[in-house]
Amino acid sequence: MKNKSELTDFYYKKLFGTLQKLEIDRKQLRSRIITIGFFYTFIAVVLFFTLLDKFFNVEMLVFLGFGYFSLGALVYKFLVKDYTHEFKHSIIRPLIHALDKNLKYTPSLHVPQRYFTRSKIFTQAPDKLSGNDYVKGTIDGIPIQFSDIHAQKRHRDSKGRTSYKTMFQGLFVVSEFNKHFHGSTVILPDVAVSTFGDFIGGFLQSKNLSRDQLVKMDSPAFEKEFVVYSSDQVEARYILSHTLMQQLLNYKKRSKHPLFISFTSKNIHLAIEYNKDLFEPSVFHSLLKYKVAMEYIATLHLAIGIVQELKLNQKLWSKQ
Amino acid sequence: MSTPLIILIAVILILVLLYNSLISKKNQVENIFASVDTQLKKRYDLIPNLISSVSKYMEHEKGILEDITKLRAEANKPNISDEQKIALDAKMSSALGSIMIAVENYPDLKANENVMHLQHSLNEVEEQISAARRAYNQAVTDYNNALEQIPTNFMASAMNYSKKDVFAISEIERKNVNVKELFN
Repeated sequence: MKNKSELTDFYYKKLFGTLQKLEIDRKQLRSRIITIGFFYTFIAVVLFFTLLDKFFNVEMLVFLGFGYFSLGALVYKFLVKDYTHEFKHSIIRPLIHALDKNLKYTPSLHVPQRYFTRSKIFTQAPDKLSGNDYVKGTIDGIPIQFSDIHAQKRHRDSKGRTSYKTMFQGLFVVSEFNKHFHGSTVILPDVAVSTFGDFIGGFLQSKNLSRDQLVKMDSPAFEKEFVVYSSDQVEARYILSHTLMQQLLNYKKRSKHPLFISFTSKNIHLAIEYNKDLFEPSVFHSLLKYKVAMEYIATLHLAIGIVQELKLNQKLWSKQ
Repeated sequence: MSTPLIILIAVILILVLLYNSLISKKNQVENIFASVDTQLKKRYDLIPNLISSVSKYMEHEKGILEDITKLRAEANKPNISDEQKIALDAKMSSALGSIMIAVENYPDLKANENVMHLQHSLNEVEEQISAARRAYNQAVTDYNNALEQIPTNFMASAMNYSKKDVFAISEIERKNVNVKELFN
């Protein structure tokens, strides 16, 4: 597998021609969006003042604001559709294939919901699950799949209005784990201890009724970052060897985002919370900008890199 | 309700909670020791097979092999205490470790499929034992803490609880295992 700098080279050398072509499209698209946006906002403001004269109340204001943003988002999505399609096919796909030829990329699909639910990372099932940029295949013979995921929960307020609240948005990765296990082990960012301190935080964690037993790990560095719940105290430690704990800590450091991990149904599941849609083309910044390029490259490398970084390809005897 | 009665009920409630938390900690230790024991038995079961496969070749290590057989016989005795089991496990781990290193000196043995299989099975069991030991040590630490910390210490001394030993984790075990090296 190519490392990050080799991939950056690939981006700027092999994809340069395509990037330049896309850059022209991007500039045209940007000016079109700005022009349309300007007129759209102008009409909205005129409409607002006309309505303001006739009847004014708070509900009207909320309704107008909501309408303005949702219609605007729809128009925006329509405008960038072709550009997005082109970007995913001519930039993201070659990048994925440069990392490994065995990987299949489907921009419109996402990791099936049953994987998300069975991971047990979140105690509640989402009411709405969407996503895109589905990648599936094998790395060194180890099955792996990942995609963008946006999981939402439905809320109903006292007036009966429903709204959707984000449970998780980011990268969701599933891969086969190299040891046999039967139960489930979930590793979450340690929010309780870092907010309330060792004593109260630790107490709260041990009383978390929606989770399995609390597992205290024998690595202070790991304990500081994560909290572990498992159906089996011994199995959790069989999975989380000192080596794997160190590797997960390194991975967490590299990802720079909250990391949720679970071991269920023979697989390792990783949810990396970005709180935004990934692998979408940049419209207002140049695709040739290093920062923009690095975001695509680093994210892809992070997802595909788990097999090597966590040594999932080195199987124990019992799994060979 | 009169104030003394409320105080009495509160005191009884606190005592019950302390008592129950100690009992659950003690049971957790016993529970996890049972899984350590299962894993240790698994390893002891592999030993006769290992001895018979390697004893033909290993002339210089006869002493260690005899020690291993003796240790196994001791471990299989009924009614041995948990402390004895812990001590036997430490001796057994180091003896098996030296045999595994010695195997490297015998090319015939290294290539022997049966020995290779045994070696891999032992590695797998060692991983399981190591996990069980770590779980046991954490349970014992929780239990020992409760024995020393206020207010559970008063209850524990009334219940005649005594501190338990942890498994000594060797330096080799703490070191990151390089699986690749094991299989080459």
